[in-house]
Amino acid sequence: MNTVLENIGEFLKFTGFANATWGHIAMIIVGLAFIYIAIKREWEPLLLVPIGFGMIVGNIPLFPGLNVGIYEDGSVLNILYQGVQKGWYPPLIFLGIGAMTDFSALIANPKLMLIGAAAQLGIFGAYAIALAMGFAPNEAGAIGIIGGADGPTAIFLSSKLAPDLMGAIAVSAYSYMALVPVIQPPIMRLCTTKKERLIRMPAPRIVSQREKILFPIAGFLLTAFIVPSGLPLLGMLFFGNLLKESGVTRRLAETARGPLIDVVTILIGLTVGCSTQADKFLQPSSILIFVLGFLSFAIATFGGVMFVKFMNLFLKPGNKINPLIGNAGVSAVPDSARISNLEGLKYDKRNFLLMHAMGPNVAGVIGSAVAAGILLGFLG
Amino acid sequence: MNKIRSLIVLCALAASTALSAQNVNEMLINEVLVKNETSLVDGFGNRNGWIELLNSSYGTVDIGGCYLSNDTRNMKKYLIPSGDINTKIAPRQVVVFYASGNGDQGTFYTNFKIEPGDTLYLVSNDGRTVIDQVVIPAALGTDQSYGRVHIEGTIDDTEFELLPSPSPNSQNGDPEAETKSQIMARTDPHGWIISLTSMSVVFTSLIVLFLIFKLIGKLSVKYMKTGKNKEKTAAVHNSHPKVSAKGGNDEVAAAIAMAIEKEFGAETEAAIALALHLHLNSYVHDQESFVITIKPRMTFWSDKRDMQLHKPTK
Repeated sequence: MNTVLENIGEFLKFTGFANATWGHIAMIIVGLAFIYIAIKREWEPLLLVPIGFGMIVGNIPLFPGLNVGIYEDGSVLNILYQGVQKGWYPPLIFLGIGAMTDFSALIANPKLMLIGAAAQLGIFGAYAIALAMGFAPNEAGAIGIIGGADGPTAIFLSSKLAPDLMGAIAVSAYSYMALVPVIQPPIMRLCTTKKERLIRMPAPRIVSQREKILFPIAGFLLTAFIVPSGLPLLGMLFFGNLLKESGVTRRLAETARGPLIDVVTILIGLTVGCSTQADKFLQPSSILIFVLGFLSFAIATFGGVMFVKFMNLFLKPGNKINPLIGNAGVSAVPDSARISNLEGLKYDKRNFLLMHAMGPNVAGVIGSAVAAGILLGFLG
Repeated sequence: MNKIRSLIVLCALAASTALSAQNVNEMLINEVLVKNETSLVDGFGNRNGWIELLNSSYGTVDIGGCYLSNDTRNMKKYLIPSGDINTKIAPRQVVVFYASGNGDQGTFYTNFKIEPGDTLYLVSNDGRTVIDQVVIPAALGTDQSYGRVHIEGTIDDTEFELLPSPSPNSQNGDPEAETKSQIMARTDPHGWIISLTSMSVVFTSLIVLFLIFKLIGKLSVKYMKTGKNKEKTAAVHNSHPKVSAKGGNDEVAAAIAMAIEKEFGAETEAAIALALHLHLNSYVHDQESFVITIKPRMTFWSDKRDMQLHKPTK
């Protein structure tokens, strides 16, 4: 009888209950909150559900040496996590993004590209603030990229520059992408007058198939020659777009924007969630990263909107741009463009800005990939 | 057709040969020490002169089959044995050969000794092509090493110098050299320089892209307005009825977009709204071939030819 009791006592030592800490419980609650937000509010559910569940998986208290944890070499989760650590999931996601993105709005009105560049101010603003807060330059660069509002880029860059902070940076980036509808509108209203919000933009011109095919080729050659360190992201983005626009690789394009991106999204979401183990995630630096992430989003939105106002100084009446599309210069496709549209409709029920906002929105994807390449070149 | 195939095969062969050669070609003689009194001890407890090779590439290089020599009349003096896993040198890593004069001691022991004033050669596996060579200074002293150091202002260029201290089995240079991040922390503590530079680069990239596509757009519009293309565009416009009143398109689009907004997510809304805009304004239309082609799609499961055993051929 004693032996049985001893065995049961021994077994209990191996269970999660015996090894649980308050940190584990806290992270499991955060994971549940993510799942709740994703299902109830439908905020970025494709990302928050895998990340939320991954947080729960990653914070099950483990007896050391079981070789199942994400940080234990050779475990299943560790093998899946290699795609994040080595940075090959994000380019695959960019392939899918390229295959599902229509650059017509941007090609029709190429000056909107500049808004995508201006919104990258968030990245470098947050970089400077992070330095002032005491982060090392490589860590500050990885944190600043949150302002690009692009989860895969944030994971790619942080895996290269500051692997220790990657969990917090990825969760912060995806959380704020989900919170775009909350963060951006007040800043947009603060930076614009009612008259500016009522500006109607002329309809975009027809874009020929030839232009659509030329765009990924010219775009890639140009950006990759200027910033070769951004090659994995830029190459895959434009390659995916060429698959879509060439018209002769429909099956490949459908795979890239369908099953492939879905599989990689599941894996990246789950493993990033798993990587937020309490002992590694619950650090004072994580809180600072969340604060900086918010600031970088806010600065990016401010930069985009103010740059449109600046551009309007030089544009003729009738060609002016509605500054409400400035916020779309951050990536977060297509949520930030949707916010532009919704804000526009609040002031003029017939002023549809969505198709105009998609221009800076996709330019933001290119801009953030270029910015990531620059930071990698300087700090990697 | 056969000529084209032959050309492709030849090109592929040439490319593969070039690639293979390129790998070994990126090996360098990295550091040499001749008179060893306090430096590296070999596996037999002796202090010999040593030769360090560096794989300067970003891929693994197998140096098995290559040669080391200090004699121009005999470039095949020491054959680096092939088949030894240790001759596969990892990217940016080094390997040390002891110039013991006894090649039977192991893969990394040469059958010749080195002296100041010698010229050392690393020779490719063809026994003729010199991959790298270095003239050891005649005045090289005891426990002094002669090695490659990075030339300032270049990315990967190096030159030979007397090193302040020997560094066998590790990259030459200051072991406490700063990382890029540390250099940036020292030179740009507030981040203004990197921010300004980076923003300028981002803007430059997108400005150039903007200019290119502005030009392409103008040419494209001009092309569409000329001759047959103008007729084609007009035909497409006229073949689709427009919504009655001026601004009616926008109202229809507005009504549909609002309904969609309530029903679907952002991506659907974005895609449908853009498509509606283009359609209602007669910008784009599907071009149908008007040819219906139905091809039976046979798979392994349904194709009888695949399911039946094939007759043996004579």
